[in-house]
Amino acid sequence: MDIGIFIQILVWGLYAGCIYILLAIGLNLIFGVMKVVNFAHGELLMLGAYAVFWIHTYSRIDPYLVLPLAMLLMALLGVCIERLGFRPIMGTGKLNEIFLSLGLIYLFQNLVAFLWSTSSRSIHSPYGDVSVTAGSMKLPLDYLIIIIVTIVFLIGFQLFMKKTTPGRAMRATSQNREAAKLMGINVERMDMLSFALGSALAAAAGSLWLISGQLINPYMGAIPAIKAFAIIIIGGLGSIPGAIIAGLTLGIAENVAPLFMQSLANLFGFSMSFTAWKDTIAFFVLIIVLVLRPTGIFGEKGE
Amino acid sequence: MKLDRLKLERMNPKAFVGVGSLMLAFSIPLILGINTYLLTVLIILLVFIIYSSAWNLLALSGQGSLGHAAFFGLGGYASAIFANSLGLPPLATIPVGGLFAAIIGVLIGLTCIRMREWFLAMVTFGFAIIAHTITAELSWLTGGWNGIPAKRLIPVTIPNYIVYEYYIMLFVAVAVLVVIYLIMKSRIGLALEAIRENELEAKVMGINVTKYKLMAFAVSAFFTGIAGALEIHHFAYITPEVYAIDISFWPIIYCISGGLFTLEGPILGTVIITILDEGLKHLGLTYGRLILIGLILILVVIFLPKGFVSITRKIKSKLSSGHIPK
Repeated sequence: MDIGIFIQILVWGLYAGCIYILLAIGLNLIFGVMKVVNFAHGELLMLGAYAVFWIHTYSRIDPYLVLPLAMLLMALLGVCIERLGFRPIMGTGKLNEIFLSLGLIYLFQNLVAFLWSTSSRSIHSPYGDVSVTAGSMKLPLDYLIIIIVTIVFLIGFQLFMKKTTPGRAMRATSQNREAAKLMGINVERMDMLSFALGSALAAAAGSLWLISGQLINPYMGAIPAIKAFAIIIIGGLGSIPGAIIAGLTLGIAENVAPLFMQSLANLFGFSMSFTAWKDTIAFFVLIIVLVLRPTGIFGEKGE
Repeated sequence: MKLDRLKLERMNPKAFVGVGSLMLAFSIPLILGINTYLLTVLIILLVFIIYSSAWNLLALSGQGSLGHAAFFGLGGYASAIFANSLGLPPLATIPVGGLFAAIIGVLIGLTCIRMREWFLAMVTFGFAIIAHTITAELSWLTGGWNGIPAKRLIPVTIPNYIVYEYYIMLFVAVAVLVVIYLIMKSRIGLALEAIRENELEAKVMGINVTKYKLMAFAVSAFFTGIAGALEIHHFAYITPEVYAIDISFWPIIYCISGGLFTLEGPILGTVIITILDEGLKHLGLTYGRLILIGLILILVVIFLPKGFVSITRKIKSKLSSGHIPK
């Protein structure tokens, strides 16, 4: 196999991994603080992408500058979802959270389909034609920007969680809700904050996906959200380094594995394409990991 | 005459409603004549009553599957392929579809037993996607993305075939519901509920958690496979679309809106949501109806966690509390 192609696929996987990590970190934060799982997290990614699409289409502002606005809008929506949806059902059983998310998925997907039809949309990034040449390979500049933006977000997020008072209060809440309450932390405000941050990160993921030239449609959120969920299971619920490692691994594995399987098949004299297996790989990995370790690789025992 | 009235009064009102609706279902083609559209809707309704009741049985054990479409599709494909390759009539191959789904169900169940709710939801969801890909890629067997034709349950050449199909569906649905009722009333049903409420305590009480959870998976997958086989032999065609995410989600919506963990909940939910869905479809609300159904789901989860079934119970308790005994 040509090493140049291999590296190109590696970068592609890194870029896909960044999108997954942004989603997974948000899900992980919400899970840590509230101990609920929002399966409708992917819908926030989708809405974030649509927000950038419409603002950019009407105002022609550089989509990278629209990104913070989309994040703010989704943070507000996240707070609404938390207050109106998840808070009333907290503590009524894990199945209810899954069912509520299902309702949210139906609501948002079809609302967008109703308002803006189901046709796929895309925007042309201002840097879409620029690519960086390194040796024998050419990389789109947008991919590099996305990788850098993700790193910046991750560092910012980590600093926020470690150094600021609200960040520390959120970590305390996720460690022990009752004790945090006794220490005078307004845990319900922490719930809201975690939802706002998580939603903003999901919006960032969706917007970056759109800006890098991908197509968006009302149903785009489901599969990435489920993969993000797989990532936090593999990486361990509540573990942020785990989510980063698992996200990168999944992004790369998804893109390298079909190629690997193809060359393996060629070796045995078959000529087959395995690109259709891309989405399947994440779940194969997930099932294998969960069979071997029901609490995830980096997860602690119990809750 | 007096004796009859006494008997009627003594009869369980639930059984009364059950027998009444069964008689209504039985007499619909007799009263309304042969209306192909109506009978088609009713046939799909019956398929989904079987399907959501099967999903509910698994949920009874605390295992909420997000990928039941896998069993629905596997049952359909197994039955279609068997019927085509061996030249058997669909009625003979439908149980084969169910059995195939049950075997896969036990295998999936084995991976899920130790998992918590979200993990199980994820694994079952992922399994539906894996089944989708594998089915689409095995084109020599399954026809790939184009699918394969399946035999019609009753050949179209027979006059009034749709009426026969309707009665077959009705018969299977009633049989499945009776079996599920018996399971829920038996020690098995109690054991499943105990596991759902507190797995550790159930284990301490001497319940073999592994055995019962696997049993729930097998029975649920079996009936789901039967529902899938019935549906594709009605449409006479099957494609990988049968694994669509929507197909996994519909039984959940029906069960929650109707009332989880009850026998009548999935039936009531399927009937109400299907009527609503069909009605809104006729008004031309393509996405509006799904928005509304999403909203109903959210509102039911928050404000009516026991589903529509609990409305009748609430009314009944209000009526009986206001009732002055003679």
